[in-house]
Amino acid sequence: MDWRGFLGIFSKHDRMHHPYIDKYSRLDSFMHRIDPRVKIISAAFIIVSVLFTKVSSPVPFILYGILLSAFIALSKIPPLFILKRSLVVVPFAIFVAFFIPFFKKGEVVWAFSLGWFHIAVTREGVITFSGIFAKSFLSTICLIVFTASTRFSVLLKAFEKLKVPNIFIMIVSFIYRYIFVIVDELMHMKQAKEARSIKGGKIFHGRALANMIGSLFVKSYERAESVYIAMCSRGFNGSIHAIHDFKLRFIDIFFSLITLVFLLMAKTAAG
Amino acid sequence: MHIPDGFLSAGTWVPGWIVSVGGLGLCIKRVSSILKDKMVPLMGVVSAFVFAAQMLNFPVIGGTSGHLLGGALAAVLLGPCAGAIVIAVVLTVQCIIFQDGGLMALGVNVFNMSFIGAFLGYYIYRFIKSVLRGNAGILAGAAIAAWLSVVAASSFCALELAVSGISPLRVALPAMAGVHALIGIGEALITCFVLSFVLKVRPDLLYNE
Repeated sequence: MDWRGFLGIFSKHDRMHHPYIDKYSRLDSFMHRIDPRVKIISAAFIIVSVLFTKVSSPVPFILYGILLSAFIALSKIPPLFILKRSLVVVPFAIFVAFFIPFFKKGEVVWAFSLGWFHIAVTREGVITFSGIFAKSFLSTICLIVFTASTRFSVLLKAFEKLKVPNIFIMIVSFIYRYIFVIVDELMHMKQAKEARSIKGGKIFHGRALANMIGSLFVKSYERAESVYIAMCSRGFNGSIHAIHDFKLRFIDIFFSLITLVFLLMAKTAAG
Repeated sequence: MHIPDGFLSAGTWVPGWIVSVGGLGLCIKRVSSILKDKMVPLMGVVSAFVFAAQMLNFPVIGGTSGHLLGGALAAVLLGPCAGAIVIAVVLTVQCIIFQDGGLMALGVNVFNMSFIGAFLGYYIYRFIKSVLRGNAGILAGAAIAAWLSVVAASSFCALELAVSGISPLRVALPAMAGVHALIGIGEALITCFVLSFVLKVRPDLLYNE
């Protein structure tokens, strides 16, 4: 419990408690213990290999599914949570992919006409559609399993070890440090607005919300300046040093090998 | 508009990554030569601000709601390079934490929303500001820039999907641009309101080269 909770100052949103970021990353499981560098590389390999799979037979996709299900089981993260998170691809899939079966040229499997209105579903279209759906679903699940089982700060350290430019890592780590502070500020402003404004139309409320964003920008900018001054007074000279303590263990190598074998199996199954 | 993995062909997402990494490198170089060691805290905290601002839902027609995308707004407040960095960082975090947009599609998403949003938005804004003087010019410029940057980003998205062989351009382009022409109105209004507030309170925070 943080000190504000201890003092009994509770708000609708608990201060600094926004569980949508790395909610399950503090569990202890096989997946959580794998070296984060190995996790990042494996995730990238799996996603690339899923994306490059030919959509000719469902077997490779079933193999990927088995591999990812095993990872989910090993991570102790509730499967329902992962499933819910993966629904993020659905709106885009519906908006874009839904029309593929109707536009792809090929053998017609189902047709419908009403006066001048003709509609036909082709075999090629259905295959392409299911391929895209399977690929986006599997790669999303893969990203969820790997990121949800790693703490964000550790993930950043691992990216840094993998030679992602330091300046980018530092900016992202600042987001992670200040997102909670700034979201808190926004929630408080929103709560204060809701407590005061009952009447008014959409334009009025829109304007009030926009003013909130405006004042949030000014506050954030001023906060950034005082953070910078505070950092300077502690000897900041443009680079941040952190202690890294990743060690490749036997189990990490074993994990990568198993993943690799599975990917090769899927590759041969695809032909 | 966050494209998930699986929709783009390798011929699209690989160049997307190359262009975005290269462009981001140039932007970082440019901004860090101006801001020096102040860059990291400033970009970081402002990125967190954009992240938070995107969480706020605005009432739209009917029961629906939309949120700020912020490409043009960030460019007007911080300049095109810094604006592009901020949006790119936000997109990266959204991709990694919320799976909003795929990992391999991230390059293309950064190109559409951060580069097109910030650079196109900024130069349109600057052009209108030079024609129309005063605060009216700033607000009108920002509103038009916000609308156009949303429509342009969605058109690029349609183009990339067409190149990947997902949907023909004659269907995807009108659909995407049409929907986003409506979304863009909301974006323009919010951008305009936010800027009019900042102009009243801290006009010195607006980007001036």
